[in-house]
Order: sequence, then structure tokens, then C-alpha cells
Amino acid sequence: MADVAVEQHGVAAAYEPSLFGTYSKKIGMWLFLLSDSLTFGALLYAYSYGRISTPNWPTPFHSESIRNATLMTAFLLTSSLTMVLAVRASVFGKGKAVRGWLLATMACGTAFVILHGHEWSNLIAEGLTLPVFPAVPGHEASKEFANVSRTVPQFPATFFGLTGMHMLHVTLGVIYLGIVALRKKFIPILLGLWLVAWLATPSYSPFHYGAHVLLLAAIAASVIVFLKPKVYDSSDVEVAGLYWHFVDLVWMFIFPLVYLMSTRIL
Amino acid sequence: MDAVQVAIAEQVAEQHRHHGKAQFFWVWGALLAITGIEVFLGYQNMEPVRMLTILMGLSLIKAGLIIGYFMHLKFEVSRMKWLTMCSLVFCLAMMCIFFPDAFRILHLGVK
Amino acid sequence: MASTDLVHAHAAPQGFIRKYIFSLDHKVIGLQYYFLALIAVFTGMFLSLLMRIHLIWPTAQLPLVGEIKPETYLGLLTMHGTIMVFFVLTTAPQSGFGNYFLPIQIGAPDMAFPVLNMLSFWTTFVAFVVLISAFFVGGGAPLHGWTGYAPLSALPNAGPGQQLGADLWITSIAIFCVASLMGALNFITTTLDLRAKGMTLMRMPLTVWAWFITAILGLLAFGVLLSAGILLLLDRNLGTSFYVPLVVVNGQVMGHRGGSPLLWQHLFWFFGHPEVYIAILPGMGVASQLISTFSRKPIFGYRAMVYALMAIGFMGFMVWGHHMFMSGMSPYSAFAFSLMTMAIGVPSAIKTFNWLGTIWGGKVRLYSPMLFAIGFVSLFVSGGLSGPFLAQPVLDIPLHDTYFVVGHFHLIMGVAAIFGIFAATYYWFPKMFGRKMNETLAKVHFFVTLLGTYAIFMPMHYLGMAGQTRRYSQFTEVAYQTKLIPLQTFMTYAAFVTIAVQLVFLFNLFWSMKKGEKASDNPWEATTLEWTTATPPPHDNFGGRTPVVNHGPYEYSVPGAARDYTMQTDPATAPVD
Repeated sequence: MADVAVEQHGVAAAYEPSLFGTYSKKIGMWLFLLSDSLTFGALLYAYSYGRISTPNWPTPFHSESIRNATLMTAFLLTSSLTMVLAVRASVFGKGKAVRGWLLATMACGTAFVILHGHEWSNLIAEGLTLPVFPAVPGHEASKEFANVSRTVPQFPATFFGLTGMHMLHVTLGVIYLGIVALRKKFIPILLGLWLVAWLATPSYSPFHYGAHVLLLAAIAASVIVFLKPKVYDSSDVEVAGLYWHFVDLVWMFIFPLVYLMSTRIL
Repeated sequence: MDAVQVAIAEQVAEQHRHHGKAQFFWVWGALLAITGIEVFLGYQNMEPVRMLTILMGLSLIKAGLIIGYFMHLKFEVSRMKWLTMCSLVFCLAMMCIFFPDAFRILHLGVK
Repeated sequence: MASTDLVHAHAAPQGFIRKYIFSLDHKVIGLQYYFLALIAVFTGMFLSLLMRIHLIWPTAQLPLVGEIKPETYLGLLTMHGTIMVFFVLTTAPQSGFGNYFLPIQIGAPDMAFPVLNMLSFWTTFVAFVVLISAFFVGGGAPLHGWTGYAPLSALPNAGPGQQLGADLWITSIAIFCVASLMGALNFITTTLDLRAKGMTLMRMPLTVWAWFITAILGLLAFGVLLSAGILLLLDRNLGTSFYVPLVVVNGQVMGHRGGSPLLWQHLFWFFGHPEVYIAILPGMGVASQLISTFSRKPIFGYRAMVYALMAIGFMGFMVWGHHMFMSGMSPYSAFAFSLMTMAIGVPSAIKTFNWLGTIWGGKVRLYSPMLFAIGFVSLFVSGGLSGPFLAQPVLDIPLHDTYFVVGHFHLIMGVAAIFGIFAATYYWFPKMFGRKMNETLAKVHFFVTLLGTYAIFMPMHYLGMAGQTRRYSQFTEVAYQTKLIPLQTFMTYAAFVTIAVQLVFLFNLFWSMKKGEKASDNPWEATTLEWTTATPPPHDNFGGRTPVVNHGPYEYSVPGAARDYTMQTDPATAPVD
């Protein structure tokens, strides 16, 4: 690393060399991630706090939930791999490969969100729900989950709170990558996704309203893309990658804490 | 200002070019394998605290792999490594002071 | 040395909107922050005036406001605290002056992320508007104080202000968290990356150190408040129970169960205590800068000052529990928090002694900025001395919910930080607007404000020890408290005078912008980089060049030098054999 600092010395003669030896955008993203990991840290602590102070914490997750969550984890880990490959392609200046790997990353991320949404819907239908979620019509809730929601409201609260916040981060991450990969062309795709997510979900589902996050993101993204049109270079891809890996990293704690520590062992 | 940024970014990219591709696949495999172990452990009938310790230990290893290789921190200057990670770990460690109170609530039977 | 491609990345903007509204220039953004804080501080001061009036004339019919009811009093209290802490003490010294002067003092053409900087200001502005709107919704402003303790803050039917008003309050705080986060990472990156050649870390002015460390605190603390706020919103709107145990409100059993109000207190104060230092550290930086400049002496113990700032920042994360001795927290952690809180007095004392050591034997020039800097030290000491009392659980428990605590934090965090802002205003006004502020009015402002604030907040300590409880809107009904009303009356009259003299400051500020005495580029004969450039500084701060730094920030009265100050950019002296 010493050679980097020395070279920089030559380039940046008017300034002192950067203390962290890298460009500002990356430092900015790292600092944001530090702050965000404390946000998630606080959520995880809130979960742990609730769990410790609640006697008889339920362990209701059946094997299909665990199987689903494991598959989601695999998708997320794979998306991290495709993301580093995108960064690697970008430093070699292979534009097409960058776009391909970014799209692969987004596909894995979207698969994660869809699987997770499916999981949420199932659990809500089974009775693991928050007081504001409307009951699913024409579906008998299972006694076990309904009982959990009634006696230990901390369980659904922490589950939906933590995973919801993470899902929001993944969704925003996919949109971020979409902008980096396709720029302006991603806006209509995003609007299409919003319409699909909004219209294809029944009105009792939380995703029916949650889908509007996509609309808000589309508006914000169009403002950014039209005010500051630019070709994203390898540093932009790397910074986007940092965010994406961080989202992956957070899941590595949520998955064992929320799912594996609450498995039903037969 | 911008010229400096571009120059530094180019140096960082040059540094990236020297990394082999294979290490990412190894890390990916290791992460998947650890996840497999975690899921397996989730089905072992174990005392919760012991299970939590093992799971969190494994998760920290995973986090270390992701931060070090995928997020590239292993290859950054040591000042950046130490300052970012120490401040983060310090703050997170401080929050552990919450837990005595959580236990206390359980103990006092306050709902 | 400076080649042409290193000049400022964005050209000077032309139209009014790009120049003054959505400006990317850190100097304009700094002023925007400053004026937002000015609006906020007068709003907050007006609220405190209403509270003081209500305390001694509880049934008075006031013009515009009418009679203040107890719940209105609590609403005023909440909004006063929130506005002052977030939109004045966090906004003015850090985001306002820090934005304006941090890049100039390190020789940078702008912040590292100008667009983010602009977004940060406008996000803060939105947060302020959302907060103020809580006054105008049904039910009015929330009642839960600036700390927003659950379960009161988590239950919409717990009081008249707890409906939409409380939601707006939390939303405003959450937006503010995002804004501060953007600001903080910008400050840190700028300091790490954009220091001019020769501006090594140990040559940075102490103001820059203070802003830098404050930004680190903000970065690490606001994220926690954000998630605390999100959970509170979930509790209020989605029916979860993170913070709410099984409670009965107005004879009605609420649907919540199993949550813990302690969790909110922990998360809030994990942010809240660093926030106290976010408010005061920039003031410390300004005081160091000014005391050295106006004593014509190098700062006493520069390195000790830097390490003390770091120590305060570091230990600021380990003491939050001292706000919670009353909460039923584990006594073992109370003990640890008490120890750490006492220990944080050590770096604070180092700073105080170094300020005094700097003044000692100096050729002191008592201009208004220096007066306010000395006033800062005075208030910091007198507010700080009650800290070790409150740091001990045994003493804190009887004093905590009394005026003693109110007096303590107003002196040290409120008024001391405000004195830092005043000192900075008088000191940098010539650089920002090219004119000096009127010195006579400034001195009147200083003496009346200093005596006035002591007259308001010193008696609070006695009130507290006599057992007068805080947050009560009216003391006329309780026999032992009615005896204390004369003291409250005295404080209210002192408040009238102190608030009146702030109007003198306001007049001086705006009058001097137009009519003040023209100032030279370096009216105070100071050494740091902002005094080397034109007044007001050009768009890229140094007119296309990047300064080269050869000296430390506080080289005053160097033996053998031609004049009693050596600018940081002066040529390095040849080494003496």
C-alpha cells in the first residue's frame, strides 16, 4: 500500500495525501455504511433486548420457512459474488460485462425480495401478523402462529421490523444498481416494476402499499439522472458494490438471529 | 479537485487489476459453506446461549470475509482499516450495556 | 504549485436561484444554516418566554396565545427543547460555521460533496418545517419533552398533543437524522481528503479539529436515533410494542404488551449524550481559536487540546446512562456510568486549564469576540461544576427531576454553546460580510447577556435543591412550592431583560451588514487560512490557487519575528544554526 501513497503524492501535489489513501466517494460511502450499520445494530439490539426480556420466546419457524430463508441467503451471497465480478470487469474497462454482472446481481437481489415477500405473505396468512395488517380473506390462520401473535407480540414486531428494514435496503440497492447499470433506461423499467408490484398484490397485502416505495424511488432517481447525467465509471461501480455487500453483510446477522434461533426442532 | 479524484480512482483501479479472480470464488464458497453449517446447527438441540455464541461467531467470520474481500477492506491502507472498524466495533460493543437491563426486567417480572 | 486543473470543480453560478437558494457553494450553505438557526433560536426563545410568563402568571390572558393551559405548557416545553437542541445547537456551530469555515481553514475550494451538502441543508429545512407544523395540527404540539420518553410518546391517546403532533415530531427528528448524517460524512471526508499542502493534522486549527470530531460523533450517534425513531413510529402506527409494556390509559387497557420503556431511553441517550458534545465541541474549538488570537499567544498545550477533544468524543459514548439513574436501570451499570462520567471531567478540565493558561500573561485584547469566548469558559465552568454532582446516582436521584438539572444543562449545553455561536459570529462577521459589527452594541449585548443568563439559570440550582420539580406548569397549588415563586418571578424578569438584549444583537447583525465599519482582510491579525483570502472569500475560496501551509495555526508573538503573528501561509523561516 505504501506505493499508492507515494504515487498519490505526485498527483495531488496541491493537497496533502488523503488519509485513507482512496478517493472521496468511497470514503463517503464507507462512512455512510458505518452509520447505517449502527442503525441496523440498534435494531438488532432492540430485537435481542425484547427477546431476552420475554420469557418463553416462541420458536415457530417450520422447515419450509428455513428452507426459504436459506435459499434467500444463497441468492444474496451469489449476488455479492456477481457484484465483485462487476467491479472487476469495470476496472478492466469491459462495459458490457459490467452491465451483465450488474444485471445478474439485480436479478439475485430481486429474487431475494420476491422470496421474502412470499414468505411474509405466507406468515401473515398463517396468523403471524401485526395488529394493523388486515386479515387475509378466505384463509384460516393456523392456531400456532395466531397464538404467537397474541401472546408474544414482540415476535412478529421484531420479525417484520428487522426484515422489513432490510428488505427496504435490498430494494433500494437493486434500484441503485439499476441506475448504475442502465442509467436513464432503468426509469421506465422501474415504473413498470412498480405497476406490477402494485397491481399484482391484493389490497390486504402490505406490499400493495409498500410497492409505492418503487414509485418514490423512481421519482428520486429520475431527478438524479436528469440533473446529473453522467457515464458511471469503475469508481461508481465500486461504491455501489460497497453498499450492496453491506446489505448482504447485514443479512448474515439477521438470518441466524431471526430465523435460525427460532427454528422449530422436531 | 476532480483531477485528483480521477487520478486516485485510477490508482485504486490499477490495484484492483492485480487481484486474482479466484479468491472471490473461494470466499463465496466459504460463505455458502458456513451458511450450510449454520442451518445445520439451527436444527441441533442445543442450549440457546451456546447456539447463539456459535452462530454469532460464525456470522462474525462471514462478516469478516465479506468486509475483507468483497468490500476490499483488506487491501486498504491500515489507517482506514483500524479507524473504521474500531469505531464501529466500539459503538456496537457499548450497546451491550443494554442487556443487563433486559435480564433485570425478566428477573423482576415487570411486563 | 497549484496547477490550473486543480481549481474548483464547479464554476461560479449565475442565476439567483443557483446562487442563493440551491447553491452548491459551502459558504452560501453555511449562511443558510446560520440563518435557519437564527430563525429557530428566536422561535425557541419566544416559546421559553411564554413558559416563563406562564410560570408566574398562570392564568394570564396573553395576546395572540390566550391562556396557556398545562398541556400547552408541555407542548411549549417539548418544542423549545427540540428546536433549541436540534435546530440551533446542532445546526449553527457545526453546520453553519463549520460549513463556512472548515474548507477555508484547511485550504480546500469546497466540501468534498457539494451536492450532498446542499441536500443536507434542504433536508434540515424540511425537518424544521415538519417540526413547526406540529403546532398547527389537531391536538397541538406533543407533550413528551425533547427526550420523547415512551410510553407517553408511543401512545397516541395518552394526551392531546400525542396524536398527529407526536408523529410529526418523530418524523422531523428522523429527517433531521438523515440530514445530519449527510453533513457529517461530508465534513469527515473533506477533512481527510482536502487539506492543502502542508496542512498536516497537527497544523489544523482547533476549530477544524472540533468540527471534525463533532462530525464523527454525529455520524455514529444519529444512526442510532434514526432506528429508535423508526421503532417508535412502528409502535405508534403499526401497533407493535417495542417500548410499551401492558399499560392502562384513562381506564382503558391498551393493546400493547411486553415492551420496555428502558429500551427507548437506552437508544435515545446512546444518541443523546454524544449529542450534548455535538453541541458543545464546536464552541470549545471556537473558544480555543479566539482565546489564542486575542491573547496574542500560542494556545497553551495544542496537542493536549487535540487529545482532550478526542478523549471527550470517545468517552462521550460511554456515559449515556447518567441520564437514566432514575429509570430503574441495573445498579451495576449505573455504577460504571457514574465512574465514566466523573472521568470525563478530566479532559474537560484539561481544556479549561489550557484556556486559562493561554490567557495568562498574554497581551489580551478585549474585543467582543474575546469577551464571548471568555464568557463561554465562564459558563462552561459554572455549568460543568454541577456535573460531578449529577454524575453520582446518590445525588442525582433527589436532584434529577428538579430545576437543578434544568439549570445545569442550560448553563453548560445551552448558554455556553450559544456563547460559542455569538463569539464565532462577532469573530467571523468581518470575513463573511466585509464589515465589522458595532463594538459598543456588542459589548452591551455581552454584559447584559452574561449577567442575565446567570440571573436566570443560577437560581435554578437553589430551586432544585429546595425541591421544585421540573416540567410542572404551575406551582400555585402546592404549599411548599408557592414559597419559591418569588425566585421564579425574579428569573422571569431576568429573562425579559436578556431576551430584549438579543434584539439588540439582531439589530446589530443586520445593521452592520449594510452600514458597519468596513473591515480589512485580516482585521483581528489572526493567523489561520481564512484571513489570507479576500473578503468575502471568492467562489473557490482562494481565487484559483491552493494555499501552501508552512506554520502551525497559533504562532503569535514568535520571538524575533517582524510582527506579533505569523500567518500559516507565511514562508517557512530558514532553520537557525
